[in-house]
Amino acid sequence: MARLAVKDLSKRFGEVVAVDGIDLEIEERELVSLLGPSGCGKTTTLRCIAGFETPTAGRILFDGADILGLPPEARNIGMVFQNYALFPHMTVTQNLAFGLEMRRVPKAEMAARIARVLETVQLEGYGERYPRQLSGGQQQRIALGRALVIEPRVLLLDEPLANLDAKLREEMRFFVRSLQKRVGITTVYVTHDQAEAMVISDRIAVMFQGGIHQIGTPTEIYMRPVSREVANFIGLSNFIEARVRGRDEGGAYVLESALGEIRSAHLDSLREGEAVTLIVRPEAIVLLKDKPDRVGANAISGRVKERYFLGNITGYRIACAGDAVLQVQGEPWAAFAIGDPIWCRFDADKTWIIGD
Amino acid sequence: MRANATLLLIAPTVGLLVGFLVIPYLNMVVMSFRTPSTSQVFAPGYTFANYLKAIFDPDFYYLRVLRDTMALGVTTTAICLVLGYPVAYHLARTPSRFKSILYAFILSPLLVGVVVRCYGWMIILGNNDGLINNILRDLGLIQTPIQLMYNTFGVSVGLVHIFLPFMILPILGAIQSIDPALEEAAQSLGATRLKTIFRVVFPLSLPGVQAGSVLVFVLTISAYVTPILLGGFKVVIMPTLVIQQLLDAMLWPFGAALAFILSFSGAVVVYLYFMATSWFMKGIR
Repeated sequence: MARLAVKDLSKRFGEVVAVDGIDLEIEERELVSLLGPSGCGKTTTLRCIAGFETPTAGRILFDGADILGLPPEARNIGMVFQNYALFPHMTVTQNLAFGLEMRRVPKAEMAARIARVLETVQLEGYGERYPRQLSGGQQQRIALGRALVIEPRVLLLDEPLANLDAKLREEMRFFVRSLQKRVGITTVYVTHDQAEAMVISDRIAVMFQGGIHQIGTPTEIYMRPVSREVANFIGLSNFIEARVRGRDEGGAYVLESALGEIRSAHLDSLREGEAVTLIVRPEAIVLLKDKPDRVGANAISGRVKERYFLGNITGYRIACAGDAVLQVQGEPWAAFAIGDPIWCRFDADKTWIIGD
Repeated sequence: MRANATLLLIAPTVGLLVGFLVIPYLNMVVMSFRTPSTSQVFAPGYTFANYLKAIFDPDFYYLRVLRDTMALGVTTTAICLVLGYPVAYHLARTPSRFKSILYAFILSPLLVGVVVRCYGWMIILGNNDGLINNILRDLGLIQTPIQLMYNTFGVSVGLVHIFLPFMILPILGAIQSIDPALEEAAQSLGATRLKTIFRVVFPLSLPGVQAGSVLVFVLTISAYVTPILLGGFKVVIMPTLVIQQLLDAMLWPFGAALAFILSFSGAVVVYLYFMATSWFMKGIR
């Protein structure tokens, strides 16, 4: 298992800058996701680590040693591709044996390792099948097994679950995570699915337009996003523009906004008069018919604009003062009709502030 | 209604094939059983004598020529495969801007007529005054000229030159349809570029290799002008003999018998080739 370090990595394709000077340090046995929308540079970064792209600038280190001079076959990596890339003219066993043959592993040991890996991915007995005889999920597990059987230093996955249907994707997330934890291999996982990244990662690196905006644990990314883009990409957010008026006796900041006065238990220090953006997650807002009188909680009035039923929750869009719309998550059985006047309550410590 | 429209669309092509291929072929087969005659194209009556002569007489001569023809076909195909595969791979995988120039180079032999092409080779390969012989003599590397023409070597060079595009293009198509991710997967598992080509690309491109090989083979065993111009009458192959019998000796029935033996043997070789390679292609479908 290796520590992976990416230092000031850049990659241009002619005029286009795909990766713009990113830094990343991944500890041994850690799974870090590169999360971002299409075109943000996450796949290009992964391919630079694998050796299929040559960076325009920067360094990539495995355990402190620069690997940029090495071709992909010499980097001792295991890679899982989005469309599995299983060799169609070889059986499952032959696919699994391929990497071992390249490493000249003796036959007896090869057979033992293949048997172990088939057991690990829960596909014992499938050795003589051809890839086209397997389902999508089975193919993906074999692809995973093929990358792991060679016991590489680093595991690289390029949106491996993107081609699976939703239910299977959810199951496979847990499978991939538990497998990775068991084997304890340093892993880089590229995805655009934020739920997936939240479930499987030790840390997430959120990327936009070639740069990393934030690296942190799923909780940090969700609760304390550093920018609007990050907050917007992970889950739903309500953004309220506000100005700092001061602090109250309890130490909470008092902010002035188009929706009224808002209190926030934000931790970092803010200057008086500073213009900021306040973030409140939809699930932090409680809808009430009567004006809430809880001390320290914020109360915003509005009117129910839209309502949609999602099964486990009902989503609301509340029209508030000054054209603002708050997205709120409510219980599925609550009955607020469209057009009803409503109060939105959220606690001061459920807010987060990002500077402008 | 739809079936009729389809039939109508393919009718002209089928008509062409039947009228100009199937019927003449059958006519040729019938001709091969007719009695030969020196005064007219054929005499009345049918006989097996043509085939008996072709196989046994004299001294299995015609069978030896058949063997030489098949051998020429196999060696030309093999050389085209060895030379053509790397070109096809490079063209399929290279992102360079010179692709279209390379395409043009590959197709260039087809742009020139067969006679002009052969004369071009005669200038280069000429036994006494050819370009190569002159250069080697001027450099002092040889005293007597090397026999590059009027032998199997010269004929092979000319045939490989013209048939290379027929090998390259089907293989190119086959390689282009192989997902590049497969090669990357092989490399990520530790295979060098070369190993990847042998273990992954080549097996998956076999349909293209098959198509190219069969094309070059059948074209070679039926080549007429190139072997005559570059081989003189020293290189005797079946097409030469067939034409001789038909045009010089006016023995149409015998010529027809030789032609049929040639095409039948070619078909057998192609069939055996498909049997052999299909065994390798189990996993690919």
